[in-house]
Amino acid sequence: MTTASAKPVKKPSERGKFAKFGRDLLRDKWLYLLLLPGLVMLIIFKYIPMIDLRIAFMDYKPFKPETSTWVGFAHFQDLFTRPAFLKVLKNTLVISISKMIFGFPLPIILALLMNEMRNLLYKKISQTLLYLPHFISWVIMGGLLMTFLDPDTGVITSIITKLTGQHITVLLDKGAFVPMLIISDIYKGVGWGTIIYFAALSGVDPQLYEAAAIDGARRFRQLIHITIPAILPTVVIMLILNCNNILNAGFDQIFMLYSPSVYDVADIIDTYVYRIGIIKSDYSFSTAAGIFKSVVAMIMMLSVNFAAKKAGGGGLW
Amino acid sequence: MAKDTTIQRNKKNKIKTSTGEKIFTVFNYTFFTLLCLAMLYPFWHVIMLSLSSSNMALRGGIFLWPKEFTWTTYRSVFKNPDIYTGYGTTLFVTIIGTVLATFLTATTAYPLSKSRLHGRKFFSLLLILTMIFNAGMIPNYLLIRNIGLYDSRWALILPLTVSAYNAVIMRSFFLSIPEALEESARIDGANDIRIFFTIILPLSKATIATILLFNAVMYWNDYMSTVMYIKSTDKWSMQAVLRQMLNNTQQAMEKAGFSVLVEETANAQTIKAASIVVATVPILIVYPFVQKYFVKGVMIGGVKG
Repeated sequence: MTTASAKPVKKPSERGKFAKFGRDLLRDKWLYLLLLPGLVMLIIFKYIPMIDLRIAFMDYKPFKPETSTWVGFAHFQDLFTRPAFLKVLKNTLVISISKMIFGFPLPIILALLMNEMRNLLYKKISQTLLYLPHFISWVIMGGLLMTFLDPDTGVITSIITKLTGQHITVLLDKGAFVPMLIISDIYKGVGWGTIIYFAALSGVDPQLYEAAAIDGARRFRQLIHITIPAILPTVVIMLILNCNNILNAGFDQIFMLYSPSVYDVADIIDTYVYRIGIIKSDYSFSTAAGIFKSVVAMIMMLSVNFAAKKAGGGGLW
Repeated sequence: MAKDTTIQRNKKNKIKTSTGEKIFTVFNYTFFTLLCLAMLYPFWHVIMLSLSSSNMALRGGIFLWPKEFTWTTYRSVFKNPDIYTGYGTTLFVTIIGTVLATFLTATTAYPLSKSRLHGRKFFSLLLILTMIFNAGMIPNYLLIRNIGLYDSRWALILPLTVSAYNAVIMRSFFLSIPEALEESARIDGANDIRIFFTIILPLSKATIATILLFNAVMYWNDYMSTVMYIKSTDKWSMQAVLRQMLNNTQQAMEKAGFSVLVEETANAQTIKAASIVVATVPILIVYPFVQKYFVKGVMIGGVKG
């Protein structure tokens, strides 16, 4: 690294530096040993798969990998000309953006309302019950939805029939399926979503409220001037994390509930990649679709984080 | 002094509570009561439905109590051998996976909390990058095939053992432990591994409990891994078995020894309900007792979805 003329001067200190470095490594050998198993798992299960991303640029033959040929960006071109993929992309965006628009503000509102509850026991019980659906798998939630939306005996089906006079099978209806996805997603996540805002609210100094009360501020004004500013940084962080999910429309949920009759509106990138890749073994094309998804997620996350930092809201890192 | 101000504040509030605020309070409590009922009712409904006779189940409607109480549905659900293998796999995966994942999270996070460690930034970056970029479904699937884990229960455990989120939570907790606590042990000649096991871990019980529970829920609820990596039905996790029973109740009933057409004691509705209950009850029982640890975990980690 160093140029020849600088060498004689620098050498002793460099050697000292290396010796110190060596001593440090030796001193921390047990720490490195502790780190090793996790690191190995990380490399095997997170980084080695990245090598296989190359098959998106190949005509990959699963049973004779050595005969695979490089095809450059052909699969990516194919991606954006295949009507099937474009439809899937549109579905993904429609579902994930609607989930965000309706699902993002609700936990904030709920947390603010709950924060106004003065009866602590009641608050505690409400929180416990509202968090519950978060811990229930989508398989079980799917089972509950099937029961409540059953065309013959479902409670919700009969309510819809009473209200609108129409008899619809929500899980097979193209118009009703996406709203069902959004509502059930909110149902499952809204309570747990509040928790992060409570973490922010718990950091507010109670004296602020007391001072405001003495100055004559009522609860609504206290909310505007104390509570909302207190949770604003958290709101920004949650917004960043949400943007990262722009192409995650909810694989678990949709895979559990969808069927060919609603593919038109409910087939998303993940379900499509699963069917094309794992069921039909078209690895190259489906990996290209997967790369597209990961890259978009990465760009979204980095740029929103950057924007949040610029705006002074403080990014994630 | 402090007491005085609170009393004063209460008095002030009392005087100042306007009609608008009173209406709001009533509305707020009513709203949350209804919301809580909405969270509980679906579970109550399937439990009651599963205990009702098939005739009543076919009529539908609201089930506040069992209509024509009967246990027969459960008897037939438990005749299905898949329930036992499913529970077996899920218990195996959840227990081994939870312990392994939590252990690895702690051992990975601890060295990364030491600022004197060379390469700490690099290793942390390696961890954080996995949160930003993901190889995706197909490369992960090919990896499992290539390393010979396909159709093995370990494929349900190992890929999920390293989570960057949990490691970050763990690391921020380790950072809060004062260095001085380790110094005395170091003077006594203990090495870092010993310090980790005898001093750090006992201090981290609450955080470890939280991570354990996060992992337990993840393994218990995971069904996509089964869908992707497991072929033989006798190795399926309970969630995958349940999904199969829900989507193909007819087949599940045949497995339980039903002659589908003539059976009167149970039908698809009650079988579905009972299967849901069988898979959900463990969570409903454990949940109230461990709920506070989840909340604590989020408070420590700041961010965790």
